[in-house]
Amino acid sequence: MSYAAFDSLKALVIEDNQHMRTLLRSLLIALGVKNVFEAADGETGFDELRNRRPDFVLTDLSMKPTDGIEFTKRVRQSNESPNPYVPIVMVTGHTERLRVEAARDSGVTEFLAKPITAQNLLLRLAEIVERPRPFVRCDGYFGPDRRRHRDESYTGPWRRQDDFKDDIAIA
Amino acid sequence: MTSKYVRRIDVIPPQAYPQMMRRADALKFILLAGSQEALQRAVRAVANCSTELKHAVFDHVERLQEATSQAQVQAVYDEAHEIRGIAATIGLISTGRIANSLCTYIDATQRAAVAADAAVITLHVEAIARAAFAEDEATRLGDEVADELSSLVTYKLGENAPSKKTTH
Repeated sequence: MSYAAFDSLKALVIEDNQHMRTLLRSLLIALGVKNVFEAADGETGFDELRNRRPDFVLTDLSMKPTDGIEFTKRVRQSNESPNPYVPIVMVTGHTERLRVEAARDSGVTEFLAKPITAQNLLLRLAEIVERPRPFVRCDGYFGPDRRRHRDESYTGPWRRQDDFKDDIAIA
Repeated sequence: MTSKYVRRIDVIPPQAYPQMMRRADALKFILLAGSQEALQRAVRAVANCSTELKHAVFDHVERLQEATSQAQVQAVYDEAHEIRGIAATIGLISTGRIANSLCTYIDATQRAAVAADAAVITLHVEAIARAAFAEDEATRLGDEVADELSSLVTYKLGENAPSKKTTH
C-alpha cells in the first residue's frame, strides 16, 4: 500500500517527556509522516508552529512552563497564531474530569489517552481527516464544535447561526 | 417553533477553513489508517521503543520513591503521572493502574484541600515499584493489589467527602 498520502504531511509533537516524544515520533514515521518536528513545552511549541507550519499537532497536557491547554488557547485565539484551525490532538494521561474538561474547553480537536496505542493514534488521525468538525466562535471560546452529536430532544436555547434560517429558528 | 434569532455564536463549517489535506489525499489516508499494514507498522514502532520506555519507567519509579521519602506530594504526583502514561504502553498494565490510582487520590485531596494520607501514598509507591520491577510476579499480584488500592482510595476519599444530610 502506498504511503504517499502521508509523505507531505508535517507534524509537530509537543511533549516534555523525551521518551514519549521518541515514541510519538517513531509512530508517525512508521506511518509515513516524514516531517516530524518536536518541542518540549507549549512556548517552544508555539514558536515551532510559526516556523514550521505543521498540518497537525500532538501535544501533551502537563508541561512547564507552558502546558498544552495554554498552548491550545494561544493557537486558537492569538493574533500571532499562523493557523487557528490546525488540528490539535491532546495526548494525556489525565483521567480527572476537571482536567479533561479544561482541555476540551481550550479548543483541542481530539484526545488521545495514554497509554498510547498504535490503533488509537490511527483512529484519532483518521477521525480528523474523515470528519472535520465545524469551528464555533462565541464569548470565551474559539475552537472545534464541542457538541459531537445532535440531540434531537434539545429544545433550546437556540443560539447558533446554523440553528436559524432567515432569523427563524429551525426546530 | 419560532423565535427571534439572536446571533451569539458563529459556526464556521469545515469547507470554510483550510483542511489538513486535500480531499483526494484524505480518502487515501483514511483507507491507509484503517489498514492492517499501517497498524502493524505502528505496533512495530512501539515495540522498538519498548526497551527505552521500560528504562524510563524504572527511572521514574526511583524518582517516585525519592519524592515519597522526602514527602514531596506534588513531585510524587508528577512522577506517578509519568508512570501511568508510559507503563501500559509497554505492557506494565498493573503498574499503570496503580500509578493512576495514586494520581486520582492525590488530585482529589488537592482539590478538596485536605492533606494526603502518607500511608496511602507509601502503599501505592511500594506496589508500583514491585509491579514495575518484578515483571511476571507483579502481573499476577499487581492486578489484585491495584484493585485493593483502588478500593482504599475510594474509601479514603469518602472519609473526606461532606456528609450527606437526609431531608424529609
